Amino acid sequence: MKRALLVSLSLGLMSAAVAQKVEAPITIGVAVAQTSNVALLGQEQVIGARLAEKFFNATGGINGTPFKLVFQDTGGDEAGTINAFQNLINKDRVVGIVGPTLSQQAFSADPIADRAKVPVLGPSNTAKGIPQIGDFIARVSAPVAVVAPNAVKQALKLDPKIKKVAVLYAQNDAFSVSETGTFQETAKAQGLSVSTVQKFQTTDTDFTTQVTAVLGADVDLVIISGLAADGGNLVKQLRQLGYKGLIIGGNGLNTSNLFPVCGRDCDGILIAQAYSPALAGSVNQLFVKEYRNQYKKDPPQFAAQAYTGVQVMVEALRKIDKKKKLDTWNLADLRVELNKQILAGKYKTPLGDVSFDREGEVNQKDFYVAQIKMKDAKNGTFVFLK
Amino acid sequence: MDFLQNYGFLIVTMIQQGLLGLSLYFPLMAGQLSLASPGFYALGGYIAAIMGTNAAFAPLRESLGSWIFPLEWLVAGVASAALGLIVGVPALRLRGIYLALATIAFVEILRVVALNLSVTGGAVGLFGVPQPFGFVDRWQYVWIFGPLLVLVLLFTARLERSRVGRAFRSLREDELAADAMGVPPTRYKVMAFVIGAVLAGIVGAMSAPFLNTWNARQGTFDASIAYLAYVLIGGSRNMWGPVLGGALLAALPEVLRPLQDWRLIINGLVLVVASLYLPQGLVGLFRRRRAAPLARPATQEVAK
Repeated sequence: MKRALLVSLSLGLMSAAVAQKVEAPITIGVAVAQTSNVALLGQEQVIGARLAEKFFNATGGINGTPFKLVFQDTGGDEAGTINAFQNLINKDRVVGIVGPTLSQQAFSADPIADRAKVPVLGPSNTAKGIPQIGDFIARVSAPVAVVAPNAVKQALKLDPKIKKVAVLYAQNDAFSVSETGTFQETAKAQGLSVSTVQKFQTTDTDFTTQVTAVLGADVDLVIISGLAADGGNLVKQLRQLGYKGLIIGGNGLNTSNLFPVCGRDCDGILIAQAYSPALAGSVNQLFVKEYRNQYKKDPPQFAAQAYTGVQVMVEALRKIDKKKKLDTWNLADLRVELNKQILAGKYKTPLGDVSFDREGEVNQKDFYVAQIKMKDAKNGTFVFLK
Repeated sequence: MDFLQNYGFLIVTMIQQGLLGLSLYFPLMAGQLSLASPGFYALGGYIAAIMGTNAAFAPLRESLGSWIFPLEWLVAGVASAALGLIVGVPALRLRGIYLALATIAFVEILRVVALNLSVTGGAVGLFGVPQPFGFVDRWQYVWIFGPLLVLVLLFTARLERSRVGRAFRSLREDELAADAMGVPPTRYKVMAFVIGAVLAGIVGAMSAPFLNTWNARQGTFDASIAYLAYVLIGGSRNMWGPVLGGALLAALPEVLRPLQDWRLIINGLVLVVASLYLPQGLVGLFRRRRAAPLARPATQEVAK
């Protein structure tokens, strides 16, 4: 009885949604972590998305009509992400969503967007299984398994004598845990022996136990998967206690926020990246210029990925608009069409050439390995290696 | 209906957080400051997520259909009771702040264990948790969290008037005196602790499908503090306190969403003001009005 009532209620809801026209201006939702302990990443994504909004509206919007971004803060948790998504879908009536920041948040909120048939582009969700959540879920962030192996290969190029490896990772960070799995597999595949595996927490500040174990194992290469603060401190303590060999940092260390933490000891860290400010293409160079003008530093990966997410949505909308004017669409139909168009298109983005496979997994051509060079105790640069 | 689409998730979250506030309220009835609820909440969620997604349970899921969900709640309740007993008996020898510390340690241990097991999905957690009873929209979860809240409130109201409830209260007021009057402290303290644990476990089992996913970030020290705030802001001496506090504190950041960056600042201000000016909690607001006029005249007459 209750169930029959529920079904009829939800049917009523669906028919109400179908009748809605697309309102001008076209809105694209951005749901990232603007607050909480994930905000360090989320704020960069906000910057990236805003730069994309400014740039693409300045170059004609969607074939002459400007579009608008609507931001809803997800916070760092799952419930906040669901709330942000519900707001974007039902209240702000967006055509598509770029977000959320964390993979765990995506697992929580993406099914809701998928059921509502709203296309979602994950800007930084790298865990296994994200595009498989549903037909409407895609991502512009390459999964860890693709990015990480490059750094190990580069380390072997720099020092072919490497035999023994120590692997360290932050066990409470989802990304670091998946990444360390990839690192360990790659190391073994390259014929290296993993002498010790050490765990820490992203909130740790003292790494004496881990460093002692690494020094005791007498290794030639240390691979760290963590975030900027903990990873930086770990590197610092490794160097201070006398470790001399190469260090590979995971993608979590791919930020200039690392420099103040480990200072001069950051020097020489190898980092595998899904994005490089040095990539030649004109799209990337325009983005880098804009970013440098405003923030006086090179754009990090998170900003570039959010920029790419918005760009993909806008370019797909432009194509749809050419076939049939956007203001003549029903919102529900446009969302479905947008999802199809996103997956069908090819895009020249700051990340390089990007396209999607049928499930919504990103096909990205270029990956990079950079080495950190410190100028003084606070400033450094990522030097890209061939 | 648009209203339900927009705020359905929030309304259910308010009920859910109210229930979690109540799970802290039971030990407090017996005077025990326990912060273990997030641990049992996480445990219940993991049980539901594992039974819902693990391949080993596939035959069970097929044969039971939607009945698997009540079974998940039952298993979560029983497992929480068992773990509650194991933890409660030694931990409840501690008092006050030491008990609070021990329960925080318990939550941390569970979290680190969950991070390191493969059956719990490590740091990524478990995802793709199936939806019960063909639920599509979040607000439909009102049909399971709502009845649970009503049942728990009825249970609490009965409990407070029963012999056990009076024993809890006597322990809260003075443990030594209660012991002298023939109330066995350990038994009743553990009982109060286990009731709270079972409730948190069941709420967790219902929440895993509600959030679509489950991971180690669900049961953390932050959550312990949040639940404690529900009880303190709502009022710790009345069963409506935690419900009110949980609902209010869950709703506040969302209701303030239009304020954007300011919302967390206002949220914090409300917490500070409420704890400064409402020592009895929100419930105290309603109480004082009725109680005040009676007391004074009586004492004055005696004085003369």
